[in-house]
Amino acid sequence: MSKKRIIIGGIVVVILALATYGWYQYNRTVKGLHDVRADYSVNATALINEFISNEDSANKKYLNRILAVKGVIKNIESGEGAGTIVLGDSTDLSGVRCVLDSSAHSKTASLQRGALITIKGAITGFSKDETGLLGSDVQLNRCVISE
Amino acid sequence: MNQRIRKGIIAFSFLLVTAPLLAQDKYFTKSGSIGFVSKGNIETIQANHRSVTCVLDSRTGALQFAVLMKGFEFKKALMQEHFNENYVESDKYPKAEFRGQVVNNSDIAYTKDGEYKAHVKGKLTLHGQTKDVEADGKINVKNGKLVANSVFTILMSDYNISIPNLVKENMSNTVTITVNCTLDPLKS
Repeated sequence: MSKKRIIIGGIVVVILALATYGWYQYNRTVKGLHDVRADYSVNATALINEFISNEDSANKKYLNRILAVKGVIKNIESGEGAGTIVLGDSTDLSGVRCVLDSSAHSKTASLQRGALITIKGAITGFSKDETGLLGSDVQLNRCVISE
Repeated sequence: MNQRIRKGIIAFSFLLVTAPLLAQDKYFTKSGSIGFVSKGNIETIQANHRSVTCVLDSRTGALQFAVLMKGFEFKKALMQEHFNENYVESDKYPKAEFRGQVVNNSDIAYTKDGEYKAHVKGKLTLHGQTKDVEADGKINVKNGKLVANSVFTILMSDYNISIPNLVKENMSNTVTITVNCTLDPLKS
């Protein structure tokens, strides 16, 4: 009798643990990048050139990674959510487009064009320009401004 | 001066003057927004993308969109992981693309403020599959900018995106796509 109880009790505990884990996984939100260490630290123009010269190998190297990109602010675009900061050479159409995380919003007010900053974000890929009019871009999202 | 050279110079300066004017026919954005919603019995799948590239040639009505699949942002992390790994396989197919045409392009006065209905036809490439797509939308011309909106639906099965049997009952095969882009004139 007591043995049976222990077994049943054990099963209940396991089910509860699994349910809790499942519930946690199901509701897990996408993690903010403030406390995540970057896998690569790169220069904005060097990163663009790496993708332009060989998109496939750059994709293999960088996709699904967290990048800390250092560069000159080319443009600050307000938009839906926290906006986008574009890093790169102002004379070049290409750039690194960093879509800011909503948590980074308060810091953007003090930023100015031409300033050198480091932005940490999740790389989402390379948008190659086929028209020759727009320039090619490396895109990052969930971006936060590194101290 | 030689007549021929003079003609050449005139033609060349004509080109110099008109080239920027021609380029003004094009409108673009790199921060367009595309969202999608799929409502199932239990699960609603929803995500948004804020870095959509869009180019519209107002002269011909040619319209093009480019989207990096990994750029879709979800609230739930697990959903985002499953979307990338199991459904759209974004490592294998990193981009989605639309190339098409505003069918009623002549109805739209791009230089005159106002709201215009737009009917768009073209080809959507997603998950390595290309299918014909047709959608109705609106183009709002305001202060030289275009605000383009559209809502249309696609079927996941059209793009070989399979739903695992386990969750088939709870998920919908229909995806509603919402496009919202503000296009600036392209200056060259």
